[in-house]
Amino acid sequence: MSISLILVITMGALFAAGVYMLLERSLTRVVLGFLLLGNAVNLLLLIMAGEAGIAPIVEDGIADDAYTDPLPQALILTAIVITFAVSAFLLALIYRSWRLANADDVSDDADDVALREGAVEMPVEETAPDAEDTEFPTDDTRSRA
Amino acid sequence: MLLVLAVLGVASIILPALVRLLGRRVFLVAGLISFGAFVHTLLQAPAILDGDPEGYPIERLAWVSQLQLTLDLSMDPLSWVLALVITGIGSLVLIYCSWYFADDEPGLGRFAAVLLAFAGAMYGLVTANDVYLLFVFWEATSVFSYLLIGHYTGRRASRGAALQALITTTLGGLVMLVGLVLLSVQARSSSLDVILSSSPAGALTTAAVFLVLVGALSKSAIVPLHFWLPGAMAAPTPVSAYLHAAAMVKAGIYLIARFAPAFFDMPGWREVLVGLGVVTMLLGGYIALRQTDLKLLLAYGTVSQLGFLTIVSGYGTRDTALAALALLVAHALFKGALFLIVGIIDHETGTRDLRKLSGLGRRSPILATIAALSLASMSGVPPLFGFVAKETVLHGLLVGVESGDPIAVVAVVGVVLGSVFTVAYSLRFFWGAFARKAGVDDVTSLEHVRRGFLLAPTVLAVTSLALGPLAGLADRALAGYPALFEAPEGKPYELALWHGLEPALGLSALTIVLGAALFAARTPVAAAQKRLSTGLSASEAYWDVMSAVDRFSARVTSLTQRGSLSFYLGVILLVFIAVSTAGLVTGSSWRTDVRVWDYPAQLAIAVVMIAAAIAATQVQKRFAALVTVGVTGFGMSALFALQGAPDLAITQILVELVTLIAFVLVLRRLPAKLGDRHGSHHRLLRAVIAISAGVIMVLIALVAAGSRTTDRISLAWPELAFVDGHGSNIVNVALVDIRGWDTMGELAVVIAAATGVASLLFIRGRDDSTSRAQRLTLRRRARARVQQSRLQSIPGERRNAWILAGPTLDPRYRSILLEVVVRLIFHAIIVLSLYVLFTGHNLPGGGFAGGLIAGLALVARYLAGGRHELTAAVPVGAGAVLGTGIAVAAGAAIVPLLFGADALTSTYWEAEVWLLGEVSFVTSTIFDIGVYLVVVGLVLDVLRSLGAEVDRQGDDASDRANARRVESATEGRP
Amino acid sequence: MTALVPLVVLVPLLGAAVTLALGFRPQAQRVVAIVALVIELGLGIALLVAVDAVGPLAMELGGWSAPFGIVLVVDRLSAVMVLVSAVVLLAVLLFSVGQGIADGDAETPVSIYNPTYLILTTGVMVAFVSGDLFNLYVGFEILLVASYVLITLGGTEARIRAGVTYVIVSLLSSLLFLASIAMVYGALGTVNLAQVAARMQDLPADVQVLLHVMLLVAFGIKAAVFPLSFWLPDSYPSAPAPVTAAFAGLLTKIGVYAIIRVETVIFPGPELNPALMVVALLTMVVGALGAVAQADIKRILSFTLVSHIGYMILGVALGTAAGTAAAIYYIVHHIVIQTTLFLAAGLIEREAGSTSITRIGGLLASAPLVAVLFFVPALNLGGIPPFSGFIGKLGLFQAAAEQGDALAYVLIGAGALVSLLTLYALVRVWNLAFWRPAGEVEGDETRLLRAVEEAPHSTATIAATRATSRLMTVSTVLMVLVGIALTVFAGPLYGLADRAADNLDGPEQYIQIVFPQGVEP
Repeated sequence: MSISLILVITMGALFAAGVYMLLERSLTRVVLGFLLLGNAVNLLLLIMAGEAGIAPIVEDGIADDAYTDPLPQALILTAIVITFAVSAFLLALIYRSWRLANADDVSDDADDVALREGAVEMPVEETAPDAEDTEFPTDDTRSRA
Repeated sequence: MLLVLAVLGVASIILPALVRLLGRRVFLVAGLISFGAFVHTLLQAPAILDGDPEGYPIERLAWVSQLQLTLDLSMDPLSWVLALVITGIGSLVLIYCSWYFADDEPGLGRFAAVLLAFAGAMYGLVTANDVYLLFVFWEATSVFSYLLIGHYTGRRASRGAALQALITTTLGGLVMLVGLVLLSVQARSSSLDVILSSSPAGALTTAAVFLVLVGALSKSAIVPLHFWLPGAMAAPTPVSAYLHAAAMVKAGIYLIARFAPAFFDMPGWREVLVGLGVVTMLLGGYIALRQTDLKLLLAYGTVSQLGFLTIVSGYGTRDTALAALALLVAHALFKGALFLIVGIIDHETGTRDLRKLSGLGRRSPILATIAALSLASMSGVPPLFGFVAKETVLHGLLVGVESGDPIAVVAVVGVVLGSVFTVAYSLRFFWGAFARKAGVDDVTSLEHVRRGFLLAPTVLAVTSLALGPLAGLADRALAGYPALFEAPEGKPYELALWHGLEPALGLSALTIVLGAALFAARTPVAAAQKRLSTGLSASEAYWDVMSAVDRFSARVTSLTQRGSLSFYLGVILLVFIAVSTAGLVTGSSWRTDVRVWDYPAQLAIAVVMIAAAIAATQVQKRFAALVTVGVTGFGMSALFALQGAPDLAITQILVELVTLIAFVLVLRRLPAKLGDRHGSHHRLLRAVIAISAGVIMVLIALVAAGSRTTDRISLAWPELAFVDGHGSNIVNVALVDIRGWDTMGELAVVIAAATGVASLLFIRGRDDSTSRAQRLTLRRRARARVQQSRLQSIPGERRNAWILAGPTLDPRYRSILLEVVVRLIFHAIIVLSLYVLFTGHNLPGGGFAGGLIAGLALVARYLAGGRHELTAAVPVGAGAVLGTGIAVAAGAAIVPLLFGADALTSTYWEAEVWLLGEVSFVTSTIFDIGVYLVVVGLVLDVLRSLGAEVDRQGDDASDRANARRVESATEGRP
Repeated sequence: MTALVPLVVLVPLLGAAVTLALGFRPQAQRVVAIVALVIELGLGIALLVAVDAVGPLAMELGGWSAPFGIVLVVDRLSAVMVLVSAVVLLAVLLFSVGQGIADGDAETPVSIYNPTYLILTTGVMVAFVSGDLFNLYVGFEILLVASYVLITLGGTEARIRAGVTYVIVSLLSSLLFLASIAMVYGALGTVNLAQVAARMQDLPADVQVLLHVMLLVAFGIKAAVFPLSFWLPDSYPSAPAPVTAAFAGLLTKIGVYAIIRVETVIFPGPELNPALMVVALLTMVVGALGAVAQADIKRILSFTLVSHIGYMILGVALGTAAGTAAAIYYIVHHIVIQTTLFLAAGLIEREAGSTSITRIGGLLASAPLVAVLFFVPALNLGGIPPFSGFIGKLGLFQAAAEQGDALAYVLIGAGALVSLLTLYALVRVWNLAFWRPAGEVEGDETRLLRAVEEAPHSTATIAATRATSRLMTVSTVLMVLVGIALTVFAGPLYGLADRAADNLDGPEQYIQIVFPQGVEP
């Protein structure tokens, strides 16, 4: 199947840019990066539709392969809407974390940091074989008395 | 045998309940049950003793046949002897407990239950004829021992010792399991009989057997895994007597004995077992000699004796086998008794420290006598059974020496030296417990020990005594197991008190004399031991290992768990890049089929999109970044349009609009500059990852598309859509019919997301009010504000109330023009959206597009009139809209099922309708209506939350700020 | 009978619709949700019985014949997964309803929790019954988006942070998955799973490898295999107890399920098995070490979760029917037990006001029932016989020993070691949280407080202990009983796993289900 070099390169560029922003610490940038990646992948699906053709509105006397491949279009439409819904949620997430921390960056996990800095102290259950010389300390005191 | 197991199991479940009624007498019940098991086992005697393997009792019950895991029990002479020991001593110890504990002992029921359950597990262990079943009981004993050692939960030492014992024995157990798996896979069966009788050979077998031995040695506290046993003395003394002297620690010996007939001639078997046995026997005896706590003295004594048993059971001849079994029984008898005696002493005097004890012998001659008998048996003094056993051992080993086996020599030397220690610490025990000591005032308590309390140790001691003279009887009972080895020529050696003057007897005498001497010289010996004592002990080694494990875990974990999102994403992407690159590099047959472009415009659009994408990564201002990303989105829709995908183009544009608006609604609350305090970190690395990821995607895309040889299935779609789907817009038919199932799922996604938006804004519920009442009052308030603002507005301005909530707005933010426009176009847009919805089946458009258009109409209302406008404009909750929408869609899927069709099957009607003429209708349109509603619901939720609620929170914030300003101002005045 | 197949998806979806419409009637919402999942359970049982009796079921949705439309396929594997998921989801729902009643919905606001929870169920079911690659993606999206909502429930700072990590990582995996679907379509011109399997064989081997690794990475993130697993312990523990329980039990296993499908149906070849084995090894060991290093019960459990994913991957990587069977049994075992332990952790949190073993003690005395509810599944997870954890490991070890590669023996050893480490981590919890008297804890309170100030634990620890509603305990007890049932009825269960694995021995049977007359090339 022959595909358009221009589109593939564009897809690659969007993907790269998206990844770059995804690795940021600013949550807004991360989300924008996700949008870029979404576009990139949709474009990839479009590329896999092959050559551009006639809009898939059935008319008489048009060969089935003359239409642009409708299957990727269906997939893309679903993907677009899903991306849209998710990004709405991400926006709420941005807003919430801003309200809470008044910061827009993704902070590190506290427990991991604590462990790394050795702040986690594990209580040790050591044995001392001859710690006790009786199971009846009360009797012990009595017999002493 | 299953019966015995069942009874013991059920009983131990019931016991805790009985404690309330019986208090400590519950142990008598448990003891009787265990005694019943003893009798049941005794009754098997005829079948066992006539020595015909066919006659041995066998019981089978399938469990997991695929894994050959079967409840396969059988009783042969070896199992029988051990079963007798376990059930017999078990019943005595349990009875003893009812005097040992007080009624108010915390966790009494738990303790009784676990102790009895342990007896059951032990019984199962020795009767199991399936290696996996054996392992099941093996681990069960470990767990029960853990629970029993930790009985005094208040003592850190007990808990630590319990953990130590569990970890050590389970470590051994798991190693053993691996060995068992290897053996059973080779033998194609997990049956102990089959594995042993097939006696496989080869490197793998050898390895497997040694893995099994690791388990055995860890269980029987053999150096270097012996350290847990002294620690286990933190358990109540009855537990020490039963688990850590008589029963559990014998499990390892049992396993060695069980495997010996098949593997004694395996390379390394004898060397390892005898070697470790000797070391253990000597080390244990040596340490026992310097103990001041009677219980610990016995504990190290046990370690030593277990080494002894390992030597004998591992040596693997007919005579040593007999000796091993005799010694095992003897040890169970005297060591059990001695522990119980220590328990009595501790219970009555309140100490086990031989430096505090004095004059006990006079106060309780009975106790002293019992102890003396048991100690004598331990030291191998005639006529006790211990003597008989030791004679047999020495005989068996000496035979080996005569045959010129160096290992036998090592064994004999070790045994003799070890026995010297044994004699010495036996004397030390008696002296320490019962003698009068200068400078220590006599024990005052212990007038009369209750008879019941003395019962168990007495019975055990008397048995030790009786079995000496009755050695012949014992021989009959024990002779079955040795028969598994090839008998030496001549009359087989038998257990007997008197074999005439022979080397063995001489050695016994020698050990006793030397032992006595060693005890007599205890003061210099003690001094010497102090000097020799090296700081290192296996127990400390254990703790070092464990803390090392902890530290190592922490190290490794802090390496992987950086806690930073970008680190995690980076790793994932690097993995993706690495593996794909590997795939690309190793590959060879790349076919790619590329054309530069479909039409020149592609180039222009591509340039714009790429530029925008790159810009997006660089700009510092929030809105600038948003806009650049938006540009790529519009570029997409341009591509869609030119590529022959009108539906995509339309949807993309609408989505892009709504997304932009939503972003703006949120970002207006955030500072204009993008905070990148850490953003600048690893710029280069990120760029490298990003670019290589992009390149990889390009390459894979080229390769994948190039390798297409088959026709795409969608070639059939045009006809399917038009003929069966009754629509000419293939994509729309695909969405609502051919692939409607995807669409339905995607509606679920939309609903979840919408709910999530609401959840993050109104934390407590789906709406800014959680009760219907509140919600109603809220809407009433909204209307009230509208009314009142109308009244307030002077007649001239009333005309300006173009939209409901317009007047509620602060005049500064009010745009009459906007309100007018919205007022004029709102309904038009709604109608348009419905048109797009219903024509979608044949023209570009459909549910999504329609829903989004309607959504935009709402957006306009909100932008013009603010949040009260929204509340007033949409009387129903977004949840209801979403719910209805998804219900409609799901209904469209279910209804066909009722007519026996596949889910989502659509039907088509054509009818002449009066006035309207020809009307046609496809049920899949109903599905599309659901889509429409859900999309509207989503937009509504976004506006309520990110719009209205954000406004409200913002207003509250500013109100608070104002209030604060006023306060500070007022305070400022004098 | 095929009607059962779409119903397992549609019932929870309708339930979600109704609960949404019932917006402001919490009581009604609860009832609807519970009823929906009870029906779901019934469907699950019926489906499993039917499939095991008459063989796999397939439905061509909308009557569109495969491969043109979407086809639903339920073989034994799917049926098993559907049933066990229904059980777990119902138990967790009961638990959270109980918790909601006890707290006045502070943790789980009904109007959000119930619809979202039912949508999560929908997504899980879509994924299990789907016979279409893209539809599988949709299923993942449904359950993921629902899980985003649940993990950020209540929107506290800790949860938002954890949520961000979880959401973004999941988004990346979804994008990779979608991209691989595009690649697959580009190469094969179809998304129907059976047809993909059929056409894949004719593709050049090196192209196959590319698509294979792409899919594996995408699913590996969801299944949390090393080194794609680091996100999990940072995100799960801070969610509300029942949410964590459901996630820990189910979500990762859906990734494993997808991997099984990929390895058995699409790429049956052994090319990547050694690589998978190494991955399994690292996943097991690193995860177990992580569990040992943690001081918080929920985090310990999250790490054991990751670690034990390694066992399942091992089973798959062996590439034998025995291995697959062991993996399937282990999945079922682990779904149940991991969920049970997290529910128990939820009870602990309420009894002791915290799940940090540095801060709690004396639970054996104060809450003996909770002690039992923790101890039994803990031993089970630690691989102590006779429980299902041991049976699962035994199956894996036997399968590995039969397969007999050097690497397989290494993995057996590692499996044993990991089992010990797991036991160590959990028994230490027992020592400290249950045996150690509460008095001992107060002793070093000050040091602890300092430690806490220096490193505030992300798991929100409740200051005042709150009442535990009976329903919470009951649902946990039920789960413990289910776990014991897995042991008692291990025979028939393992038989089922065996038969399921036989169905997955090579793609032919799967293709046969969808294309009884054979698939056109």
